[in-house]
Amino acid sequence: MPGTGSAPEVHDNLVLEPRDVRFDWSRLPLHWIPDEPFATHTINVLHLLLPEGERWFVRVFKEALPLITDEQLREEVLGFIGQEAIHAQAHEEVLEHLLAQGLDPRPYVRQLEWLFQRVLGERPGLSARARRENVIERVAFVAAIEHFTAFLGNWALNSPGLDRAQADPTMLDLLRWHGAEEVEHRSVAYDLMVHLDPGYLRRIRGMVVSGPLLVRLWVRGVRFLLAADPTLRGRVRPSWRAARAAALRGMLPDPVQSLRSGLRYLKPGYHPTQEGSSAQALSYLATSPAARAAVTR
Amino acid sequence: MDRTNPQAPPDLYGRPQADPFMRRLTAFGDRYTPALGSRGLRRNPRLPAPRALPALVLVVTGHRPVAEDVVELRLADPSGGVLPGWQPGAHLRLTLPSGRERHYSLCGDPADRTSYRIAVRRLADGGGGSREIHDELHLGVRLTVRRPRNGFPFCGEQRLLLLAGGIGVTPLLPIAREAQRRGLDWHLVYAGRTLATMPFVEELRALAPERVTLLVGRIPSGAELLESARPGSAVYCCGPAPMLAAVQRALDESPAGTLHFERFAAAPITDGKPFTVQLGADGPTLDVPADRSALDVLREARPDLPYSCHQGFCGTCRLHVLSGTPEHRDRRLTSEERADGALLPCVSRAAEGDRLVLDI
Repeated sequence: MPGTGSAPEVHDNLVLEPRDVRFDWSRLPLHWIPDEPFATHTINVLHLLLPEGERWFVRVFKEALPLITDEQLREEVLGFIGQEAIHAQAHEEVLEHLLAQGLDPRPYVRQLEWLFQRVLGERPGLSARARRENVIERVAFVAAIEHFTAFLGNWALNSPGLDRAQADPTMLDLLRWHGAEEVEHRSVAYDLMVHLDPGYLRRIRGMVVSGPLLVRLWVRGVRFLLAADPTLRGRVRPSWRAARAAALRGMLPDPVQSLRSGLRYLKPGYHPTQEGSSAQALSYLATSPAARAAVTR
Repeated sequence: MDRTNPQAPPDLYGRPQADPFMRRLTAFGDRYTPALGSRGLRRNPRLPAPRALPALVLVVTGHRPVAEDVVELRLADPSGGVLPGWQPGAHLRLTLPSGRERHYSLCGDPADRTSYRIAVRRLADGGGGSREIHDELHLGVRLTVRRPRNGFPFCGEQRLLLLAGGIGVTPLLPIAREAQRRGLDWHLVYAGRTLATMPFVEELRALAPERVTLLVGRIPSGAELLESARPGSAVYCCGPAPMLAAVQRALDESPAGTLHFERFAAAPITDGKPFTVQLGADGPTLDVPADRSALDVLREARPDLPYSCHQGFCGTCRLHVLSGTPEHRDRRLTSEERADGALLPCVSRAAEGDRLVLDI
């Protein structure tokens, strides 16, 4: 990717719009990082989590729309919704490809549907105030999760280890296009949360609930995919040690750095623009084969 | 998914039992959700209510021709206050005295916080906004202006090829200035009909004459525009739609791998006929004219209607048709979804005079 000339700067007031990307998975190998089933499946958890998760983001933000009183923030939220909808669809298509290769993701997806539709979904019979508070609370969950998606996106944009390992170029483009849009829109959920509730407690609760949940879902996902992979027959077992080793080789984000990043979210003066570089993300979006093909559609 | 089923989903490994983790999550959610709104789990009522940043009201402090059919406008705070900052590539949305809204790229210096500069070409066959600016925005006229937004952000790549077509030079001028300030390797190719119609040529040459190439009097091909691209060049293109399309087509054959341009969400409606939409079986009926989308018309009645891409691919504005025959123009919905009554009102329409009854 092209080098950016000087220190990353904050880009203000970006216009956000979805990009109509398409990917062709017909030639994706099951282990798209060659000979690295553990790293492949650790990243594959994204394809399990994101379709249901991002569709849930979209529902939460649609519910929040009537609460927004600022025109610019509303436009950013609408741009965010469109981007998330496209992300969900792009990852869903990878799941279909996994199934076609004999790895059945449906038991795990069924649990996520339950989580995002039943446990975290809209619930009948609440008072108007409880309903409103639930919308704001879910926005706070989304804001905390978006901190991690921006962290991961920033990692994906700076992961030469994946290139060295000759990971599948289409999958790398999916991860980096998605990661770049996450960096591009990293402030929206946070700004929306602060607009609806500037209280520090809300932000903390968002992270305290969703941070550990995300980690737990991820660990369960890795274990599930390794067990469900028909070519491994349970030979590869997940461990934090294996994750750190893979991180050292540049295949995965470092678990300790991920944890530290989660803690930064709790700092009183935190703002998402302190993490990642918009210039790098936008430059990748102007380079990405999928994003470039989207404009001529 | 069956919402009424109280049982958590089964275990991941085929054991015939509800997953204990899912059961615990469900129990947690069943307590947490209704508890929100109680003391300690609600928005502190003493905190200020959500506020909107007000739009700016600016006064015209400069109005002068800078090329044939191009005027430069300076806008400032009436009391001389400091204006919100902006970055190269940003634009303003002006609300003209007639109520028309127009977007123009900022072409001044971001370091100047006392005035905004834009340049406007008079379009004889436009919607009248540019004529109004040329003929009626005299010194002292006040305008409502939205704060700067950026749809063409500059990423500061080391090697830059800036391609300007006519009035499209406006956002590239601050980009070129910033590139020069940072000492980047930039080159600007500026195409126009005649030299007299091309604004800011001298200003660009004053930055670095050897970095500016003029192509005057003919429409250059994409390959010609990209001629000076080198490996790793990042291209920033702003000009008429055919020029951008030509550059996009030629990019794969050039050594440049990066193309930045400003995206304009809504493509003009082609071959649209007027029809009507009804909001619910007993709701009001609204007319959708040939040159507007159903979404635009619906948003006037329902401002909270979600939408995003305006182009029929993201699916955010999806609605359900209760009756009527839609003319689908989206690229998102499957034939099953369409048969089931789904509709994307940002692009889809109906035959002339038909009515779509929508579930909203």
